[in-house]
Amino acid sequence: MLSQMVVNGVAIGLVYIVLATGLVLILSVTRILYIAYGSLYMIGAFTLWSGIALLQLPFLLSLLIATSVTTLLASASYHILFRHVLRRPKPLLAVVVGAVALMMVLDQAGILIFGSVPRGLSPLISGTVDIFGASISLEKLFIMATALVIAACLFYVYEKTDIGRIMRAVAFNAETASLQGINTNVVNLVTLGIGGALAGIAGGVMAPAYGVFPAMGGNIILFIMLVVMLGGMDSMAGAVLAGLICGVTQSVGQFFFGGLSQALVFAVIGVIIYFRPGGLLGSGVQLEV
Amino acid sequence: MGYRKLFSYGVPIIVFALVPLFTRSPYYLGIFITTGINVILAMSFIMMLRTGLISLAISAFFGLGAYASALLVTKSGMSFWLSLPASVLMVSVVALIVGAVCVRNAGFTFLLITMVFGMLIPVTLGNISIVGGYSGISPIPPPNPITIPFLARIVFMSKTPYYYLIMGLVLIVIVAFWALYSSWLGEAWRAIGLTESLAKSVGIDVYRHRLLTFVIASGADALAGAFYASYVGTVTPIDMGVFKSIYVHIYAILGGVEFAVLGPMVGSFIMTFVPEFLRIARDVEPIITGVFMMLLILLLPRGVLGLMLSTTAAARPSESIAGINRILMQWLMPKRRHEGGRGAGNQRIE
Repeated sequence: MLSQMVVNGVAIGLVYIVLATGLVLILSVTRILYIAYGSLYMIGAFTLWSGIALLQLPFLLSLLIATSVTTLLASASYHILFRHVLRRPKPLLAVVVGAVALMMVLDQAGILIFGSVPRGLSPLISGTVDIFGASISLEKLFIMATALVIAACLFYVYEKTDIGRIMRAVAFNAETASLQGINTNVVNLVTLGIGGALAGIAGGVMAPAYGVFPAMGGNIILFIMLVVMLGGMDSMAGAVLAGLICGVTQSVGQFFFGGLSQALVFAVIGVIIYFRPGGLLGSGVQLEV
Repeated sequence: MGYRKLFSYGVPIIVFALVPLFTRSPYYLGIFITTGINVILAMSFIMMLRTGLISLAISAFFGLGAYASALLVTKSGMSFWLSLPASVLMVSVVALIVGAVCVRNAGFTFLLITMVFGMLIPVTLGNISIVGGYSGISPIPPPNPITIPFLARIVFMSKTPYYYLIMGLVLIVIVAFWALYSSWLGEAWRAIGLTESLAKSVGIDVYRHRLLTFVIASGADALAGAFYASYVGTVTPIDMGVFKSIYVHIYAILGGVEFAVLGPMVGSFIMTFVPEFLRIARDVEPIITGVFMMLLILLLPRGVLGLMLSTTAAARPSESIAGINRILMQWLMPKRRHEGGRGAGNQRIE
């Protein structure tokens, strides 16, 4: 029973990880508190659903379309909105408001275009396997594998490649980076594009297993924010660790405490952040905003 | 108090006092009452913003005030007129404890911690069965009738008494905030808002001042919440989602965050009335509001009232009743430039 809960928690935690690493990437490089991230995830899921259910496209092609849609949306939001706001002296308040406005627009657009009825898809792969006495569907196993691969890819790109090095330079200090000849504007645009792609992939992969409904974005973003805070706002490894912790805690706590488990998670995270403002693995350096 | 000053303070008060005579429909009066609540919340937000705190816990303290008052009235049978100050006091104590923990880190961390707190409160209250869970507390009885000597006995049956009540509360908050802003406390807050390190260097205890604004602002939120509970007659955890805080930010930004009193009033008026009229476009309404918010931060970062400031003047974080006074005079008597008033100083209105 317990192992079953842990396995379920890990499955959901791995999806959190994809979104949380994307959000950490956006947050640490561009300093945008991208609250609309959950909405991108929802749009990705709905695009995949329309690709498969309405246009009868194969899964991979639909996933590609969903990813491109969210990538475009995220980049466009930077080009149209955040680019101008970030130029101002103290942008934090305006950025938060802008991100919430974006979330409102995207969520309502999702309801208008796709309807508020929850949609389901036939599972890609059927069947279950037993791990440590816990049965898990192959579908969820596929999600976990995809999430791991994506997180690993992101980690590799961020730590080992030239693009990643440029991003880290901007994350370290945008002004210094621009003095080294880095076009921070383009870097921010690309970062948001990558972040959007991650949200699209996460939404697309989740859709067949967990269903699609317009409120899914708003539901998940609060939890993702918690994961990011717990792990550290500038640490991808922290996001991975915190994603697993939150997923398992949610799954196990739901069983023991019911609805109050969420409140407990919040309280515990509040205490941790009080003692470690940078999160579990964060550097502790205050993000300058 | 000069004749001009009396005029520019008296006219708005009389105009607002006469509103119920002209709007017979309780619907519009209801919007006015909501606006009053929003004005208090937005003013509390600007007070915290003065010292560099962007709080997302406004709705949480609003909700705590509503719950405290509702519980006192329904469970212990306390009169509304007692529960109103009592709930403000209780929430201020809570804010003191919460603030002592989270005010230490300003900026991003404060924003995130208050967000956690703002999410924690509705979820917690929703799961405690003594306070009604997610269905909340209802019915909450209206305030007891009060008798004004020689004039009338006010019974809280229609919306008109509520309107006058919230108007009185807004007035109290305005006067209290104005007094704070124009005292040495307000000067210290302005200094912290401008440059934190400089304020520290001249001996201002930034932490204590931040804590003080946090507690005062949360008390004002609780006041609005306690009123709200008795006015609506029911409170649920859904009333206090984090999004309400964001809306409060919008009211303040729309009016102009540099205007501590007038900004929230203008912003709340526009943001409460316009979405009500957009109700016709039911489904598209959030999209219009969202686009409007984006346009606002793109095109009008200093708010509607910011248009009145000269574009060259440096952004000054202080603007209080003196600002209202000058703008009103400018508007009413455009020929002669009105001088004087506290904090007129280097700022001119072109």
